Amino acid sequence: MMMFTQVQGLPVITADEAEPLGRVESLTIDAHTSGIACLRLSGAPRHITAIAWHAVEAVGRDAVIVRSRAAADPGQDSLPAHQEALGRRVLTEHGAAHGTVRDIAFDNTTGHIHTLYTALGDISGDRLLGIGSYAVVVRAEAS
Amino acid sequence: MIPLVLASELTKRVVVTLGGEAVAQIRDTVFDARAGRVTGFTLSGRGLLAGPLKESLPFSGVHAIGPSAVMIPGETVLEKRDVAMGADGAGHGEVIGAPVLTDQGTEIGTVLDVVIETGVSGRVVGFEISTDENTDRHRRKAFIPRGETLAVSGRALVVPAHARHFIADDLPSFSAQVEAFRAHTAQPYPQSPSTGTGGPA
Repeated sequence: MMMFTQVQGLPVITADEAEPLGRVESLTIDAHTSGIACLRLSGAPRHITAIAWHAVEAVGRDAVIVRSRAAADPGQDSLPAHQEALGRRVLTEHGAAHGTVRDIAFDNTTGHIHTLYTALGDISGDRLLGIGSYAVVVRAEAS
Repeated sequence: MIPLVLASELTKRVVVTLGGEAVAQIRDTVFDARAGRVTGFTLSGRGLLAGPLKESLPFSGVHAIGPSAVMIPGETVLEKRDVAMGADGAGHGEVIGAPVLTDQGTEIGTVLDVVIETGVSGRVVGFEISTDENTDRHRRKAFIPRGETLAVSGRALVVPAHARHFIADDLPSFSAQVEAFRAHTAQPYPQSPSTGTGGPA
């Protein structure tokens, strides 16, 4: 399990060439699968601005490992548009505010979103409905 | 407890898709001819300079009305404005300011605002009224539940006489009064023989 804020800024290195591809700027979530869709890079020297999650070999404490340059490259245009989740306001599907996203815990082997942390309590990643430019929408808690 | 909201409070509330995009804000609430239910909302764009939108939001397209936002499944539920407005003239303005009479002919006040049950039903559960001297020595604001057979003519609004016993001073206590009023309406004769089992003959 890792936090989004822990991964931000980590160097991305290819395993085959040991070549740095840049640093992790942000993680893009696919709300439909409650998983990470891709990593956005900053300072990328090779015009690779995003890497699909399935091309990521490992997310460790000190670096993100990608198999090779070639694995990181293809399928750029099939990646979903990035919507930043960190800092975004949270709304339930019933239209109630639930603070803002402080941090997100995810499984660093599967990319599954585990928990959204807000000032008003934790939200399971399985409750994600949508992430837009206005809000992160979550399913109402079963009560 | 029934979650309630005043129609006027919905104005300017942001309309958000389940995908997290803000698409509009509420401009006005539209009721059906009997003021029993919200049929939809007219919309305006977001931001200071945004004007009214051509699209409106039919109530059937609402996912939920919440305290912070009105949720819709997606932008596809928005319709061309005249569809949700309907042809009958029972708009917002004709309910507000209408005198409230009981079905026994007593005037109890005038409508200030409409109380709507939030969540998914959109039912009009009652009205905020400015009470007359008949009801109260001091003119004040109060909440009164609507009867199931409420009549609205555009000029006046008639509620059952016993609704006067369920007047509340504020919205949170009104929620309990509406529940009590409904229970009372469902059981008009609490002294019915079925409750007399075991009592002294």
